[in-house]
Amino acid sequence: MDLLLNEQQRMLQAAMQDLLRRDFPKETLTAIDAGAASAADGWPALASTGALGSLVPERFGGVGGSFADAGVVFEELGRGPVPGPHFSSGVLASLLLREGGSAEQQAALLPSIASGEAAFAVAVTEPEYGWDAADVQAKAERAGDGYALSGVKFPVPDADAATHLLVAARTGAASVGFFIVPADADGLSRRRVAGFSTGLGEVRLNAVAVGEDALLGGAADGWPAFERAALRAAPILCAYQVGGTESVFRMALEYSRTRRQFQQPIGRFQRVQDHVIDIVNHLDAARWTTYEALWKLDTGRPAEASVHLAAALASEGYYLVCNAAHDVHAGVGIVREYGLTLHTKMSRTLYHYLGSPRHHRRKLAGALGLQAE
Amino acid sequence: MDFELEWTPEQQAFREEARAWIEIHAPRLPDHADPANLTREEYELQREFGRKLGAKGWLYPTMPAEYGGGGLSMELAMALEEELDRFNMPLPPYYDTGGKLGAAAILVWGTEAQKAHFLPMILRGEIRTWQLLTEPESGSDLASVQTTAVRDGDDYVVNGTKIFVGSSHGAEYSWMIAVTDPEGERHANLGWLMAPMDVPGVTVEPMDLLFVGGERGAASGIKNTVYFDNARVPAFNLIGGENNGWKVAGTHLEIEHGLLRSAVRGDPLTERVLSHARAARRGGKPLLSDPHLVDRLVDFYAESEVTRLLHLRNYAWRSQGRQLTYEGAQAYLQQKRSQLSKARAVLDVIGPQALVEAPDDWALADGHIEAHQRAAIVDQHPGGTAEIQRVIIARRLGVGREEREEPGRLR
Repeated sequence: MDLLLNEQQRMLQAAMQDLLRRDFPKETLTAIDAGAASAADGWPALASTGALGSLVPERFGGVGGSFADAGVVFEELGRGPVPGPHFSSGVLASLLLREGGSAEQQAALLPSIASGEAAFAVAVTEPEYGWDAADVQAKAERAGDGYALSGVKFPVPDADAATHLLVAARTGAASVGFFIVPADADGLSRRRVAGFSTGLGEVRLNAVAVGEDALLGGAADGWPAFERAALRAAPILCAYQVGGTESVFRMALEYSRTRRQFQQPIGRFQRVQDHVIDIVNHLDAARWTTYEALWKLDTGRPAEASVHLAAALASEGYYLVCNAAHDVHAGVGIVREYGLTLHTKMSRTLYHYLGSPRHHRRKLAGALGLQAE
Repeated sequence: MDFELEWTPEQQAFREEARAWIEIHAPRLPDHADPANLTREEYELQREFGRKLGAKGWLYPTMPAEYGGGGLSMELAMALEEELDRFNMPLPPYYDTGGKLGAAAILVWGTEAQKAHFLPMILRGEIRTWQLLTEPESGSDLASVQTTAVRDGDDYVVNGTKIFVGSSHGAEYSWMIAVTDPEGERHANLGWLMAPMDVPGVTVEPMDLLFVGGERGAASGIKNTVYFDNARVPAFNLIGGENNGWKVAGTHLEIEHGLLRSAVRGDPLTERVLSHARAARRGGKPLLSDPHLVDRLVDFYAESEVTRLLHLRNYAWRSQGRQLTYEGAQAYLQQKRSQLSKARAVLDVIGPQALVEAPDDWALADGHIEAHQRAAIVDQHPGGTAEIQRVIIARRLGVGREEREEPGRLR
């Protein structure tokens, strides 16, 4: 029982920190946010660290790391926060392929995910929002030897940056399948939506024709595989949120020392101190529930309750610490070049990803046997 | 990163040896919801068991063997404690802050002669000691104590009043901070004394309080006011040298502020409340059909888990010799605040039955639920209020200041 990173993970952490310093400094991240630079420019460097293949088995060109190792990588990316399809492709799509893909699909796609040649977005939710199978309305109808996919997917994280999509579509009244669709397929249109979010997009499918082999694992009902993948991916998304939360903590702490009002550092005022203390408390609650969930996944322990707890606390925590940091920073906090708003925006963007805190609390209640028969 | 210990065959063998020994020697005592109900007879059985543990070095298993501790590794100590937990017998099995906190301070600050004199009798369970810190006019501002200890020949003559002291059924020694230099600067005017309780001029009077908690199975039962009227304490018993008492206190305050082992075990209330909720009915329907109450229970569970994990982090890091800064106070703050929010959740989920003590009056869990309603409020102040924990966290993080406050010395 050490509750510390091991030697290899510390090296991984240092390598990711180098990458961030070199390829994603604050100036670059704010420029990407303002549309003056592209996150895609840093993609080859990111791929070269092995970050995208953290969870891809070695035989498919990945690192074959543990969930905790992937957590280290994504915690560092979250510190930026570095935008892009690294999570949706390297984590969620690769786990979905591992959990639900056929041997052929895995062999064909996992190597290109690990190398960064392909970037996957996972299109699950729809305007009538929700992360349950019942919320999927998009249709997959038999057409010739394959399927025709129709429907609207929104929001789809990283839709515009993807080369491929994994699309959830109804194959029957009680079944949802997942389809591998090239982003440039005929009948598929996608766009990024503007506003208080990072990288969210809309995907429209108008009778998009795909072959039989596009159906993940050949399974008309791919939802159980998706649930397994999502349960494993969620704590890694939490790690990204923990990294973001830690950055926000560092900013607020530093500002409490350097900003002077009433002839003293503002951090001398207990009302300001309380904001910073609330931030570090959210940070550590999210951090340790996340690490425990990752450890349970890695050691094969039942992890459901831990994962949903971590997911609820990490999302809520990231959201609330941004609010508290804005209280500490006041006007300076909303100046875009200062960098706090990158996190504020990201905390909102990720709030619903793989389920809102409310969704995870409901799932947690189920895992604890707290649902009425 | 491991969240659990992996046991070697040698460690497993030790655990089995410990279990067999405890089976034979541990007294079987009722699990009082309110520790005030601990009888003298039950207390004596706990003391007797403590002396047996002490003779083996198992009362304070990680303290140095040369002073009567066990000299055991963290792993073996945890195995021992887990086995004792099964009999609701934490270490030590009776209220003894002298051992948990005072002995740690003596080990850091005592002279060789003092360590050789005091530590064996504490660590072997021969004496029990209370801590005497708070005074009527000195609570959060502990350094402002007014009790005086004036040197007179080979003794210190002590005068003053200490409150919220100890437990039921007495103690042989107490340790305290008192003013040894009335002209001295704040923080440099105090001495840390190990005071025998059987000398003339010491009077103990129980306080009438809402509840007195303490650790599970080793609860203190009651708190007392202790009056000193020209009580004489040998000068030999001044630990850490002249006017150095604040630094000595820094050692045990550091441990008390969230570094105690007991909290790692998690809170037995959590499972009690969850199992009640799974079976209970209200208004002819399962209680869990009310989604508001399910939300409350999930919040309750989340608070418990975060508290457990923060304590676990602290315990694991400290066992590896890692210097903690804000983490102790953070875990202590989380524990305090979560008790209050949990108490409200319990009141919502369980209803008015949460407020009654006796099973005959519809009480649940033999009164443990009712006891928690009181304990949650009482838990807010010991070892410093929630606000004091916030002050410590801010200073240790360096909020508004470049220089971060140094933690108390632990070695």
